[in-house]
Amino acid sequence: MVYDSIANALIPTAASNPKEFGKKKRVNRTAKLKQSKLDVRREQWLSQVKNKGFKEENKGTNRQKMVDLDMHARNEGENRPMVKLVITSGGEENDGLMNHYSDWESPSNSPTSHTSSLASNRSVTNFTGSSSRSSSSSSGGCGCYSGSMTEEDDGDDGCLDDWEAIADALAADETKNDHNNHEPQVHDHAPQLEPVETMKDDQVNCNAQVNVNRRAWRPDDAFRPQGLPNLLKQNSFPMNSERNYGCAPWGFKNVGFTPTTCPICCEDLDLTDSSFLPCPCGYRLCLFCYKRILEDNGRCPGCRKQYEQSEQGIASSKMVRSYSMITRH
Amino acid sequence: MLDFGRVQKELQECNRDINLSGISVNPKSDNLINLIGTIPGPIGTPYEGGTFKIDIDLPDAYPFEPPKMKFATKVWHPNISSQSGAICLDILKDQWSPALTLKTALLSIQALLSTPEPDDPQDAVVAKQYLTNYQLFASTARYWTETYAKTSTLGVEEKVQRLLEMGFPEDLVRSTLEAVGGDENLALERLCSG
Repeated sequence: MVYDSIANALIPTAASNPKEFGKKKRVNRTAKLKQSKLDVRREQWLSQVKNKGFKEENKGTNRQKMVDLDMHARNEGENRPMVKLVITSGGEENDGLMNHYSDWESPSNSPTSHTSSLASNRSVTNFTGSSSRSSSSSSGGCGCYSGSMTEEDDGDDGCLDDWEAIADALAADETKNDHNNHEPQVHDHAPQLEPVETMKDDQVNCNAQVNVNRRAWRPDDAFRPQGLPNLLKQNSFPMNSERNYGCAPWGFKNVGFTPTTCPICCEDLDLTDSSFLPCPCGYRLCLFCYKRILEDNGRCPGCRKQYEQSEQGIASSKMVRSYSMITRH
Repeated sequence: MLDFGRVQKELQECNRDINLSGISVNPKSDNLINLIGTIPGPIGTPYEGGTFKIDIDLPDAYPFEPPKMKFATKVWHPNISSQSGAICLDILKDQWSPALTLKTALLSIQALLSTPEPDDPQDAVVAKQYLTNYQLFASTARYWTETYAKTSTLGVEEKVQRLLEMGFPEDLVRSTLEAVGGDENLALERLCSG
């Protein structure tokens, strides 16, 4: 069991090795569609590697793990002593080590990682077709990971037909480009850290424990694998609207401008209500109150002007509702 | 059916910043249909220093229909009936909007106190006085504020002391004041009538 979890934890790390970075750099903005295809291929390749043998994988990523360990230590601001603390307990059982490590790191990481792992789990339920989503699930939990892998094995062309998912993946890539600024720093550190590679086996074991920690990556982690999609956008959504991620563009635009409750009846605005804009003045209200006002004097509460008598507003909101129903299933 | 959820929320929000606005709304009884609102007299007006009580009755269709408001405290103002306390304010009639709240309505009434509209009067006598003899209007309004809008702010002992100075026995003064709910004028009337 511990073995499995280690293997799973290593995969996102492997995705960020220098070879992958080089591949990334060659991909320009116009070839993003291609990239999502590549991601799918990479997932398949990684799954094959995983099936073939854990040891090869372990050797190949030793260097990267060293970088990870050191980055952790630097990030925590407690450089060597803290690392040694972990190393000295290398002889203990794996579980004990894991607990030790999570105690060490959790105060700084746990709140963000909790939300982002939530987000990634959600995205798995909605976007099993999207390659970048499934790679995010690998950091969310090993169960989700293996589930999405089998689905992709069934048919990766099918998932590329999901244009919504692709558009979403592209949007994630665009925001991810901002984080590419971090990557050269990682490269700069790597040569300096090579002497560390002469560490002994129990230290390697310790490094493995670092990777056993299967928390979701923080968006600003320097050692965050590049293959992971940027979840920042999703995190900025309120939880209840996250389900309807397909409607994200307008939902995102209106964040901060839409009241969460109807100002007339004080009931919560659902998705349909919050997309309902009956008056050019921008005053929002729920459909029930709107209908009630139409039966009455038909004037907008915000500006006292007569509502336009066309049913356009209701029609468009009905469209939105049916649209959200489609994306929900 | 009255939207109690909204009324409840309005009461909470209004009483949350009572220290800032001075405006409060409280239920008169245990239902949320009859309320009593209080507004402080605007500073720099003849109503300064007074606390004005306003009777609020919420219709079933509230907030789609305006709340029924009238002054419970007597006030000398061109747009407020000196007899009934009825208020002449457009937002309480045809210019009401469901987006308004009890608090914004009370704020509007407070603004009305500081900017009378004698050309659209509720009380013709007051409006005429306002237009012809502003000084007299101002002093009358100030007197009414002192007399009717400040009684509740005085301490009981102060009232007792003043009634004692008029020559009434102390125990009778206290019991009468208690019987009329602390209103000095009512107590005086009752004491005089014997």
